[in-house]
Amino acid sequence: MEKRQDIVTGLLFAGLGIAAAWMATGYKGASGIYPMTLGLILTLLGALVALKAVRSGRNETRALVDAPAQMITASVVAALYVAAVVPFGFFTASFLVMLAMPFALGFRKPLYALIVALAFVALVYLVFSVLLEKPLPREAVLSLMARGG
Amino acid sequence: MEFYTNALTSVLAWGPLGAMIGATLLGVLIGALPGLNPVMAIALLLPLTYSMDPLIALGMVAGIYNGSMYGGAIPAILLRIPGTPASIATTFDGFPMADRGEASKALKIACWSSAIGGIASAIALMTMGPLLARLTLFFGPAEYFWIAIFGMASVGVMVGSDPVKGIMAAVLGLLIGTMGIDNLSGQARFTFGQTWLLGGLDLVVVLVGLYALPPVLQLAEKRDLVGLSSGQLKLKSAPFEKGEIRGLIPTWLRSSGIGILVGILPGAGGNIAAFLSYNAARNASDDPASFGKGNPQGVAAAECGNNADNAASMIPALSLGIPGNVVAALVLSALTIHGLQPGPQLFHQNPILVGGFMMEMLITSVLIFALGGMVATRVFAQFQRLPGVLLVPSILILMCVGVYVINGRMVDLWVMLAAGLAGYFLEKVNVPLAPVILGMILGPMAEQSVRRALLISRGDATELLTRPLSAALAVMTLLVILWPIAKSLQRRRKAKPV
Repeated sequence: MEKRQDIVTGLLFAGLGIAAAWMATGYKGASGIYPMTLGLILTLLGALVALKAVRSGRNETRALVDAPAQMITASVVAALYVAAVVPFGFFTASFLVMLAMPFALGFRKPLYALIVALAFVALVYLVFSVLLEKPLPREAVLSLMARGG
Repeated sequence: MEFYTNALTSVLAWGPLGAMIGATLLGVLIGALPGLNPVMAIALLLPLTYSMDPLIALGMVAGIYNGSMYGGAIPAILLRIPGTPASIATTFDGFPMADRGEASKALKIACWSSAIGGIASAIALMTMGPLLARLTLFFGPAEYFWIAIFGMASVGVMVGSDPVKGIMAAVLGLLIGTMGIDNLSGQARFTFGQTWLLGGLDLVVVLVGLYALPPVLQLAEKRDLVGLSSGQLKLKSAPFEKGEIRGLIPTWLRSSGIGILVGILPGAGGNIAAFLSYNAARNASDDPASFGKGNPQGVAAAECGNNADNAASMIPALSLGIPGNVVAALVLSALTIHGLQPGPQLFHQNPILVGGFMMEMLITSVLIFALGGMVATRVFAQFQRLPGVLLVPSILILMCVGVYVINGRMVDLWVMLAAGLAGYFLEKVNVPLAPVILGMILGPMAEQSVRRALLISRGDATELLTRPLSAALAVMTLLVILWPIAKSLQRRRKAKPV
């Protein structure tokens, strides 16, 4: 048990429970009773987790993130990718993230990454756009070309 | 019998059959890649099944599930890296076998054992599922409520190291399940003025985030830049010797029984089945000291046990609406996607679909014999040469495309990322994720049932406990919750110095 982590987790859940129960008081009739009860139970359980951690004599150190630099890098690149899907288009953004993510994580074989990126994006295009005909955000390059034409 | 004959006719059509073959192959590949697991793969698959015929969608789920459970043995044997958590026990004897040049034999035993365990489990599902479902004809709203609560309590208590955290996760799932418009009163709950939240949080969006993003981030953390060399993946063919199969039969029978029992228990997963089967094989052996040093019985026990858990975990899921493990919860989600209410009514309302899925679990287990052999194993082992850092964006792209196609809106991608980050940290602080999903699935059923029961009894809450069946379920729920507390008190009493 990592004491500090468990105390924070318990308090977060308890806070979430209180907020939910409080919001549920504004709902009419039976539709409010159920979430309010759940909110109160969550508060109790959260408090119990925190209390157990406070009273526990054991404190085993446990890293919350094993490799913070890589984890943060991957999360940021993932968020940038999602943000880029609409302005660039799905396949362009996917191609870019296939190159950017390995590079950001330290992969230094650009040709290898380029071949895998091209092959993978082509496969995704074939499966989702050609075979399954799923509508995906439009490619900015195509719009620009259409305007130019 | 007619139930299965009709179902068999439906699943042997080209669509479901092709889906099963493709998905079993894909499953072996997913299992073979460390970092990917069946839960993540099925979570990624679910969004794509919206427009599919339900039998095709469920055939794919069955194929990926059974295939990946065997696929996990490939890196476990070749590299001592379990492809899935359920193949940890396979490393004990599989890797020493590979180390002394018997990798092919170990893989062959794993393949046969996985198939046999899967077949036994599917037969158990086909015989016990309908019997259990018949019991549910006596269920009213109060029983449905207790069934949902029992399911969540047992999974909450059994999964993870701390029962309080498990139940806390289930309550969080129940709360998330209340988001959106209340079907009975029309009241919008926890929508924060956002119109996209009126329908609540999409189960599959949260599910993909919770189950697919944490392994992606862990892959990024490992920062594998090279992959494996071809020399590490060389295999020769290894036929069975005379009497070898006969020697494995008792292990297969024992491990199948253990796997099936573990599968039926809510919360226990394939890894527990594999460990128990392995220990049972060692205890039953004339030479227990040879276990851990490359005994083929060890590989057979672990692989047969973890596959025997698969279909059996669907018994409570399909008949009672209580998933035995996370994959069973995902199957329930797949049913929900197709407008089918998981639980007791399913057998009466959609016999072809339920029967068809059971047949698909059986057929995909048989397919492991045909598709999981040396050729497939050789091919899939080669994918381990890809550096892990290239898998990180690939999975991320599949997650995004899968989630986007559900509703065609960008906000779902952000919800998925937020759920994934939450899942990553929750796992780190030992809050299990399965009860969250289970709470989201069973929450609406629990709420509607309790409110219906109270409406029928004109607000008398004792109605929830006065019928014999509902009282029995309530007592079982209480026992499930109190059992770990009693065990912990007992442990503390023993630890006290005299």
